[in-house]
Amino acid sequence: MRVEVRGLTKSFGAVRAVSDLGFTVEPGQVTGFLGPNGAGKTTTLRMVLGLIRPDAGTATFDGVPYPDLPDPTRTVGAVLETAFHPARSGRNHLRVYCRAAGLPLRRADEVLHQVGLSDAGSRRAGSYSLGMRQRLALAAALLGDPGVLVLDEPANGLDPEGIQWLRGFLRHLAHDQGRTVLVSSHLLSEVEQTVDRVVIVGAGRLVREGSIAELRAGAANGGTVLVRSPEAARLAEVLRAEGSQVVADGDGALTVTGRTAAEIGSRAFAAGVELHELRPHTSGLEEIYFQLTAGQEQFAAPTPGVPAAEGAAR
Amino acid sequence: MTRLVRAEWTKLFTTKVWLGLLLGSVVMVAAFAIFFTSFAGDPESGLPAVGTPLYEELILSTAANANILFLILGIIGMTQEYRHRTATPTFLTSPRRGRVVVAKLVAYALAAAAFALVVVAVNYVVVAIHAGARGAAPSLDGDNLATMAASLVALVIYAVIGVGLGALLRNQVGAIVGGLVYLFVIEPIIRSVPATAGAYKWMPGGALEALTATFEGPELLEAWQGGLVLLAYGLLAAFLGTLLAVRRDVV
Repeated sequence: MRVEVRGLTKSFGAVRAVSDLGFTVEPGQVTGFLGPNGAGKTTTLRMVLGLIRPDAGTATFDGVPYPDLPDPTRTVGAVLETAFHPARSGRNHLRVYCRAAGLPLRRADEVLHQVGLSDAGSRRAGSYSLGMRQRLALAAALLGDPGVLVLDEPANGLDPEGIQWLRGFLRHLAHDQGRTVLVSSHLLSEVEQTVDRVVIVGAGRLVREGSIAELRAGAANGGTVLVRSPEAARLAEVLRAEGSQVVADGDGALTVTGRTAAEIGSRAFAAGVELHELRPHTSGLEEIYFQLTAGQEQFAAPTPGVPAAEGAAR
Repeated sequence: MTRLVRAEWTKLFTTKVWLGLLLGSVVMVAAFAIFFTSFAGDPESGLPAVGTPLYEELILSTAANANILFLILGIIGMTQEYRHRTATPTFLTSPRRGRVVVAKLVAYALAAAAFALVVVAVNYVVVAIHAGARGAAPSLDGDNLATMAASLVALVIYAVIGVGLGALLRNQVGAIVGGLVYLFVIEPIIRSVPATAGAYKWMPGGALEALTATFEGPELLEAWQGGLVLLAYGLLAAFLGTLLAVRRDVV
């Protein structure tokens, strides 16, 4: 099932949260929906799911808007926030939605098992840890065994083990079962290894849409490498002479942009410069993401040391 | 629709709010019955004596005093969706939000009918024992059954008004405090000030008094008219609440 977003626009009072946003989410892939906090990701997802009425534009599932889906629970599962009554047990929370959607009550136990919460099903949901709450929200999304999954920052509150599990789980749902998975995050590094495609938004507008491979290709020269040498000044000269961008960090350390660690090592060897450390620092993908979205936060904090007016003018 | 109504009952009976409100109602009407019966016929209290038709009508109407707790039942039933943010999964499961509100109205009307039956029964049993000990237990004749049925209907309508009010205001504390202030401060003032007392019969409290029974009260409507006015308030609140729930963004 394909999700198509066309020309979505929404303002809250004077704040334009989402502007003429359009993108497509394909089945069999995990699509990352990326952007800084306040870029309009949650508002967009809520419009896609019919919870917020857009000022303009449409969002459809194989051509059908969410509120018109004949059986929404069996079509789309959504993890938007960890919403439950604290005094109700996790199992009963799920049973409410089984009843509402006409699903057998045993689905509650099945999805609890699927997300690893079987033992906690009878406990009050209010006593759950943050990670357990995220798992309960995911369990609710899986109740109807839907072909489309929409997840808003699902990794928030998960421990490293939980994040690892979630990555594998989402890949399995998309790659092995052919489902459509749309997962939002404000951190590219968090979803970099999970997603096949990315939709990047900033200040409510589309910044970039494409496969992670395309983005990576564009980022190949954007990575930085950290080099440490007792002859840092001479090495910097050598590298600058052949066009590398070098920043001296002092104490014999250099940050080199646009060369791989192997290339730098080979130049240093040729020039007879002794190296004490040679280490890739950023992949370049993150640099690109940062450049694409820099200054696009709805409520950007001023850069430290930069006067407020200058920061705002960026 | 049956699915949504059953979902509402699952929500209602998987927390303990209903138990607290039902027990509170039972204790309240039992206390009223004992208090009234203790002073019945006492010339200083001005209450009619045990065994008179007026006494029986009054004492069997005290069950309707639990109306405030039934109002709160309806308010909590609706506003908990916003308070605990479960409106999101609820409206995701049923994107046609009007159906959710209608299901809530039906579910709470039926649940309130069952609870009201318990309240009215407890009221009667307490009265039968206490008044019986003081000489004459009220019989279950036509008039007394009609009084009890009127109390039951009034309690159910107040639960419906609560659901509608909750959908209108969405804020749980605000809706409960607002409801209490209205019933215990604003209406009594309107009732007692001569200039506004004429309007009282058209208000929810006046309609309730007309439907059930009153004692040294102001001018009221006929019982059936009071019932209709009360029902109209319930449906108005429900209609406005449905309209707003459908139109508002769930953020």
